[in-house]
Amino acid sequence: MIMMRSLLLLCSLSTAAAFVAPGRHTSLQRSIINSDISQTGSSTELFSHKIVLVRHGESEWNDLNIFTGWADAALNEKGVKEAKQGGQYLKEAGFTFDVAYTSVLKRAIKTLWLVLEEMDLMYIPIINTWRLNERHYGGLQGLNKQETVDKHGKDQVLIWRRSYDIPPPECDESSEYYPGNDPRYANVDKADLPFTESLKITGERFMPVWENEIVPDIKAGKKILIAAHGNTLRALVKHLDGISEDEICGLNIPTGVPLVYELDDDLNVIPNENAIAPLRGLYLGNLEDVRARIEGVANQTK
Amino acid sequence: MFSAARSLTSFACRTGINHARVAPSVRSLAAFQTADKHTLVLVRHGESTWNLENKFTGWVDVPLSPKGHEEVVEAGKLIKEAGIVPDCAFTSLQQRAIRTLWHILEQTGLMWIPETKAWQLNERHYGALQGLDKQQTVDKHGKDQVLVWRRSYDIPPPTVDPSSEHHPSNDPRYADQEFPTDWTESLKTTLERVTPYFETNIAPQLKDGKTVIIAAHGNSLRALVKHLDNIGEDVIAELNIPTGTPLVYELDDDMKPIPQEGSFAPLNGRYLGDQDAIRARIEGVKNQTK
Repeated sequence: MIMMRSLLLLCSLSTAAAFVAPGRHTSLQRSIINSDISQTGSSTELFSHKIVLVRHGESEWNDLNIFTGWADAALNEKGVKEAKQGGQYLKEAGFTFDVAYTSVLKRAIKTLWLVLEEMDLMYIPIINTWRLNERHYGGLQGLNKQETVDKHGKDQVLIWRRSYDIPPPECDESSEYYPGNDPRYANVDKADLPFTESLKITGERFMPVWENEIVPDIKAGKKILIAAHGNTLRALVKHLDGISEDEICGLNIPTGVPLVYELDDDLNVIPNENAIAPLRGLYLGNLEDVRARIEGVANQTK
Repeated sequence: MFSAARSLTSFACRTGINHARVAPSVRSLAAFQTADKHTLVLVRHGESTWNLENKFTGWVDVPLSPKGHEEVVEAGKLIKEAGIVPDCAFTSLQQRAIRTLWHILEQTGLMWIPETKAWQLNERHYGALQGLDKQQTVDKHGKDQVLVWRRSYDIPPPTVDPSSEHHPSNDPRYADQEFPTDWTESLKTTLERVTPYFETNIAPQLKDGKTVIIAAHGNSLRALVKHLDNIGEDVIAELNIPTGTPLVYELDDDMKPIPQEGSFAPLNGRYLGDQDAIRARIEGVKNQTK
């Protein structure tokens, strides 16, 4: 035991991450790491990075049970409350951030603004990228979920919603939902603008911003907050936690609840002992409530 | 794709990723027809809680008051009604300006445009006076001395104590900057950090054809309009820019303001909103210390 502690002390004196095998930690190390989830004054500060993910709160279209995708629905009152609550949990847990990433959709941006306001961090730089947008729902955007079930059958809709790689039907090029008709995408390469997306495609267009922008920031020691959407966060946790295609489709990330990942210097996840499988990150808040809510989203189309 | 996209976005507006630019059909037709006219919107943040309390605020990070929130929601509506569509935004590191910008972006449906926050757009730092009540300061130092500190062009208040919470080296948001131990600002020194920032980071965006909105503070905007409109030192020290009132400049290719009908001298910018009410408010700020 004492030898192990001395080793850890040596680690903190040198920058020898080599002593700590990437992705593998002894139970002693894990208990030291997990004993303090805050970023400041943590013994893990020297060889781990914490990033926080937040799925935007409930939007007006969640209420109406409409397929939203890239449609720019606003947060509803509940969504605003959720976001503020998320900010409070982060503040209470002693988090701070250096930079935030979000999409170009207002429900995520507003969520981010509310979190930053709660945390007195409105002054940090914010990076908006279409690559963090929700999955594009193709020709289903704007349609009511239940009506779509009535029309196409429960199984077909379930495939479009929860298949890993089968996208919904494409939207029409003349449609208001085709991103080429939206000024916010005016400078995006036409070839990158979707007519529809599956979770697989969503992940593929998200990963470049993770690899080229976010990872370098993490490695530079910046504390990152990502405020995004159900499917982009699914893509990210699938990558971080090595979750299978089947399992990721059924995974629900509850809205407005901060999800904290601790990463080692090679950006492998250091599992948290209070994580809810298959994720290895920690939700902040009442874990029983969170667990119940994870079950809840499954019931939106029956 | 990334490196090509990066080269399209100049340094100041660079978020690294967002290249959103408004399509021509959405711009007001007049603005688009004249290729050498560039639109710059300035907004002084809405009333803050310390405006209400009559304290020297400077870099203290006070929030908007309820009235301040309302003012700037209204400012957003005015900008929308005027058909002005900003492509990128600049603001300070202070929440009253940032929140002002966010309200405007929400009202105009432009929450996704790149926003850049810079300490160079902060309010003038009030040195050792920060946090003090204005009337008490008058009672202590005399009306004339305080007037000099408030309205002189180049005489700054006493420097802030380096161990004080008001010294920027003690605030994590300025961790990347080096500030001298003896820190205080006059309108002159404020201008000396606002103008280069404008020239280096904002003017290129305007010249590139982007409509820019700046949400900032009384003195940082004074510095900017002095620079744009070539206003004299005596005049600028007395000039009041009303809170939450969009001030629209049309600049030529050399960033010289194009005179507009309805502007109030010495500014070439035009305020949006009820012109009589605005004129009355311009007179109003003078009355805060008598």
